Amino acid sequence: MGTDETILNLAQELRRGTVVLACLALLDEPQYGYALLETLNGAGITVDGNTLYPLLRRLEKQGLLISEWNTEESRPRKFYRASEEGSRVRDGLTREWHDLAASIARITTETT
Amino acid sequence: MTAPTAPNTLTERYIQEVVRRIPADQRDDVADELRATIADTVEARGGEAAERAVITEMGDPIRLAAQYRDRPLALIGPDFYPAYIRLLKMLMTVVLPIVVVVVVAVDAFDDNNIGHLIGTGIGAVLSVGAQMFAWLTVVFALLDRVKRHEDVRKSVEWTPDTLPPVRKPDKGGPAAFAAIVWYAFLAGAIVWQHLAEPWRPEFDGLTYDGGVEVLNPSLWSNWIWPILAGLAAMAVLEGIRIGQRGWTMGLVIAYAVAEAVFALPLAALFYNQRILNPSFLSDINRDWTTPDAFYTVAAVIVIAISVTETYKRFKAVAGK
Repeated sequence: MGTDETILNLAQELRRGTVVLACLALLDEPQYGYALLETLNGAGITVDGNTLYPLLRRLEKQGLLISEWNTEESRPRKFYRASEEGSRVRDGLTREWHDLAASIARITTETT
Repeated sequence: MTAPTAPNTLTERYIQEVVRRIPADQRDDVADELRATIADTVEARGGEAAERAVITEMGDPIRLAAQYRDRPLALIGPDFYPAYIRLLKMLMTVVLPIVVVVVVAVDAFDDNNIGHLIGTGIGAVLSVGAQMFAWLTVVFALLDRVKRHEDVRKSVEWTPDTLPPVRKPDKGGPAAFAAIVWYAFLAGAIVWQHLAEPWRPEFDGLTYDGGVEVLNPSLWSNWIWPILAGLAAMAVLEGIRIGQRGWTMGLVIAYAVAEAVFALPLAALFYNQRILNPSFLSDINRDWTTPDAFYTVAAVIVIAISVTETYKRFKAVAGK
């Protein structure tokens, strides 16, 4: 396995948990699946539909998201937004994220 | 929102394959959402081949359904895997050999053909082994789905105490194994010559129809039993020795007793010239008479081998 491939695989592990945080952050405003996917990918959080759509339902089941069918437009779509619990979890995860980033920054500056 | 019969498009065929694998109460909702999402994606991509490309990207319906059910794609998940492996190993290395030995032993009572018995043994290994493997796997796969995790996992839970001790290099292992094979062969030969009556004596140049035993048949009402029991005990003790990767004093003492139970009657039978079947003897000897020295020497050899073997095992313990 080449270096690039190794980095790619390990980076995927690093990113895995970030999708949840990104979703919770973006879903302050109600959004439907495909639009959210586009926003995420546009923002540099790469995720596949077959990962994101089941994930949204799981977060809803955990009570972090609330969903609602919108039938006003040409095509009925399910819109998700963060619940109050979801917002609290997002804040906690954001703190964790910053702590982690700070720790990694410290470590990497010390070793270089 | 779902039409009674959906059009036979690629999207509908895909959705059908996904939702039939998820719980019924979520099917319609997931189907509607997937339908909208796929349509959105196809629309954004445009082009004729878009639908096929989008569905290809969504991937295997079984995998997607598993994501929706939040269940890993594994027959036995990581929670149960260690317990499963531990039980499987125990069944295959302890229970299976016992069952096979019992099956073959039972079969030996009404069939005396060695080839047939070997066939029975191999058949038992294959069929009983496959059954054990299959049922254990089925039970664990079900458990993994029912998720009665804690009780089962704890019962075969790993603790530091279950770690086996560091393995000493075991140089005597192959020799112990060879000994077991030898005892099994001896016992097998004794039983076989009794059941098969393999020797065909000749009278006046004609082969006699029925066979006779090589060993004295009257032994089966007395002295053959300690001989067989001694052989069995020695085989078991060698087996324990393999498991422990070495002899212990207690084990060697037990071995000495088993060896005595086996060798003393055997030597006495040789010495008293009662070991062989008289009709077998008269058939091979004809006009010749076996000298007494033959029996005495045989008895001495039996005792000598037994003493040597026992001494070797005592030395193995003392030399450690």
